[in-house]
Amino acid sequence: MSETPVATDNAPAPKTKDLGDDVSALPGVLGIVDLAIARMEAVFLALGVLLMALNTVSNVVSRYVFNESLYFSEELNQILIILITFAGISYAARHGRHIRMSAIYDQLPPPARKWLMVLIASVTAVFMFGLCYFAFSYLQTQMSRGRVLPALQIPIWWTVVWLPLGFFMTGVQYLLTAIKNIIEPDVYLSTSVLEGYGDDELEI
Amino acid sequence: MALTIFSVMIGLLLIGFPMMIPLISGATLGFVLIFGGLGQMETMVQQMLAGIRPASLIAVPMFIFAADIMTRGRSANRLIDMVMAFVGHIRGGLAVSTAAACTMFGAVSGSTQATVVAVGSPLRPRMLEAGYKDSFVLALIVNASDIAFLIPPSIGMIIYGVVSNTSIAELFIAGVGPGLLILVLFSAYSIIYAKLQDVPTERPATWGERARAVQAALWPLGFPVIIIGGIYGGVFSPTEAAAACVLYALILELLIFRSIDVAEVWETAKSTGLITAVVFILIGAGAAFSYVISFAQIPQAILGSIGIDGMSGIGVLFVISIAFFIGCMFVDPIVVILILVPIFAPVVKSAGLDPVLVGTIVTLQVAIGSATPPFGCDIFTAIAVFKRPYMEVIRGTPPFIMILLGVSVALIFFPQIALFLRDLAFAD
Amino acid sequence: ATWRYAFEEALEEVQGKFAQKFKEEIEANTDHTVQLFPFGTLGESDDIMEQAQSGILNFVDQSPGFTGALIPEAQVFFVPYLLPQDQDTLNEFFRSSVAINEMFPKLYAEQGLQLLTMFPEGEVCMTTQDPVHSPDDLNEVKFRVMTNPLLVESYKAFGATPTPLPWGEVYGALQTGIIQGQENPGFFLESTKMYEVTDVITCIGHNNFTTAVMANKDFYDGLSEDDQKAIDAAIEASFDYILDYQQGLQDESLEKIKEAKPEMQINILSEDERKPFMETAGDVEDAFIEMTGDGGEEILNQMKKDLATAEQATQ
Ligand code: NA
Ligand code: NA
Repeated sequence: MSETPVATDNAPAPKTKDLGDDVSALPGVLGIVDLAIARMEAVFLALGVLLMALNTVSNVVSRYVFNESLYFSEELNQILIILITFAGISYAARHGRHIRMSAIYDQLPPPARKWLMVLIASVTAVFMFGLCYFAFSYLQTQMSRGRVLPALQIPIWWTVVWLPLGFFMTGVQYLLTAIKNIIEPDVYLSTSVLEGYGDDELEI
Repeated sequence: MALTIFSVMIGLLLIGFPMMIPLISGATLGFVLIFGGLGQMETMVQQMLAGIRPASLIAVPMFIFAADIMTRGRSANRLIDMVMAFVGHIRGGLAVSTAAACTMFGAVSGSTQATVVAVGSPLRPRMLEAGYKDSFVLALIVNASDIAFLIPPSIGMIIYGVVSNTSIAELFIAGVGPGLLILVLFSAYSIIYAKLQDVPTERPATWGERARAVQAALWPLGFPVIIIGGIYGGVFSPTEAAAACVLYALILELLIFRSIDVAEVWETAKSTGLITAVVFILIGAGAAFSYVISFAQIPQAILGSIGIDGMSGIGVLFVISIAFFIGCMFVDPIVVILILVPIFAPVVKSAGLDPVLVGTIVTLQVAIGSATPPFGCDIFTAIAVFKRPYMEVIRGTPPFIMILLGVSVALIFFPQIALFLRDLAFAD
Repeated sequence: ATWRYAFEEALEEVQGKFAQKFKEEIEANTDHTVQLFPFGTLGESDDIMEQAQSGILNFVDQSPGFTGALIPEAQVFFVPYLLPQDQDTLNEFFRSSVAINEMFPKLYAEQGLQLLTMFPEGEVCMTTQDPVHSPDDLNEVKFRVMTNPLLVESYKAFGATPTPLPWGEVYGALQTGIIQGQENPGFFLESTKMYEVTDVITCIGHNNFTTAVMANKDFYDGLSEDDQKAIDAAIEASFDYILDYQQGLQDESLEKIKEAKPEMQINILSEDERKPFMETAGDVEDAFIEMTGDGGEEILNQMKKDLATAEQATQ
């Protein structure tokens, strides 16, 4: 969405700067892997949305032109929405886009903000890693039960694979945010968004 | 138990945790308290998936995508230019048009979140340009989108009808009166606001200018045709109409107007996916939280302690309104309907209340709840799409909530607001 | 202890009635209590099924058609004209069927479930905008079916255009005309108000909506013998109760519909008119066997034998 000049009636939130998908929080090889993952998440997001549109439109066209509904259309959309959501939460964590109520946080002086961010990021990381663990065991349960999608006849667990992955990658992002805030002088809202620099939000 | 969970959630929310954490920790705490440990956490994961799975939710990313293409390209501006040519000289005209557009779009699409995005993203920048403050604009968009619940088709009314064995056709008609009343009151408030804030007006457009504006908007006028004509005409389901809008937007902006290129489409798809993920993880976490409330039978416990048996009809309606209002502040509206309606069914019957009236009141509370802090899908969607802080999105809501609550009370004392049209249509 | 029991319908619909009776029996004869969770309060059909498998729920009611994703053979209940069309024969069938009482319990046990009973919920009828007297009348009719390959196959064989649609969108889609038909048991047509947005109800006797109640197997096996007996007795009593409740329910539901909407056309097709529909069953049987292999074929053949036995017993 494009940013517009805003006639806001309250004090502006602290300025932030997004480093985009070109700079990783990690050094060396890890950084290269990290950036590759970021790009892949972006591809999943865009491709997921485009496929969803294509799938839904095809169903309508098929219904009217060929008098035949695509009976797997709904299931395909379900798979795509799971993919988008769980590829997206990690990407959103990287770019500090998760929704939060920052009213109190924004009133605090920078050092307090920094340490509060360390707390927030590490607790969030713990929750994400925990959910990763439980999602993984849910995945194993699904594999053992062998339930299939009724129309597509593919195992349900295929659709669940994204969950532990998404939670894990998101946990990593929050963990890195905590670490960055501890070792660097700036306040980092996420691995690629640092506070107090830049004039505009970078569009992502 | 409920109190502990709510306190933890509100605390984490206020400190500034990402919104998913209060919901996830509320749900986790619930699972731990109910099952005495982490043994059943797989079901929490299951419920997060269940939350994002409903097929009708697909309309949300599709409308986000279509609206973003329209806004980046020329369609949105041409449509708004056309509206402005007719109402730009009226004080509050743009705000009233926005409210009306939200009502119409929401009514047809049936999705309040889709409305926030599809109507809000093109109109918000124009309202800001025209001199409205952002807090007002955001609150107007979020609250006017809620009217979607009351005007058919309405998934909330369908669920209520099935659970309470009430005619869905009658419910649909009964929702129209209160829906339009809310639109009128929102419009009145918008005009008063524009006067008080001295929002500037434009000079009236000449009929020649208006004709040219309409001509420029001819292609983009296909969007309302696809949405309203397509859905009411029985060509598309709302989800399909959303996808058809994507296709039409791509054809217009990519091929006819040539206002965007393929790279921009890719960027738009990516940003759509991102917004979707940010909102949907909250829907998923909210579903897990709803599960805890439902499983522990917390509403039953609370309502059991109030003692509504033997209350007067009006007393019962007040309790119902308050119960649904509070429920929807925290929990998914559909789940609230599924849990609470059967609990109230006996007392509704013994008090001799019209189930259609009750259904309308319930639907209204559900609508209010999804725009009411702290947790509400429409608020989340507005934050994600407009990239504005939480506080700014909710700052302007109080007058709107006052109006909505006023209508709720009016509905209890003057049921004819809802039942007049119903009685007219179903008179024997 | 508190036992938890979830089902796929509202409290006052057939599965809810069964569950209420079960609760009443258990609470009268044991010191356990039963908590009921109707449709949607703990998730959708597949969600409550998983919760029963993982032991969060003690009892669950899921219709075999939905269980088909887990136990493919359970989809046999979607094969048209496999169940008796006459109520007495049907009741006898459910009591005596070897497939239901001996073969299916083993399949459910493999999934960690103790199959307690299966019972019919009512004849499935179609609601459409125009009268249906033969497969030709379904030509070009976009007909909503659940997302299941066999149902899709059935309605293709009937001549319609099967159109899968999420349940929440069916009412609206019938109203606007995206689809022109859907099928459900009589009581469900009434309670979900499908008649408000369609003009004709047609019963062709092709199916009776069947559902199954099961318990988590570890939970059941871990109970004392007394408790197991109490559960079996409660199921028995609820089964008798529900068959009794069923008697005339279909007619009652159709009457209620007629009362609410006098211009509603209700057509119970004659034996002759049903023939062309019955002739399509073979295609669906083939599709079923293709999907489920030898195991499915065995169940299908046993069901046919059971049908013959039940017909003989009630002649
Ligand atoms: Na609506
Ligand atoms: Na809310």
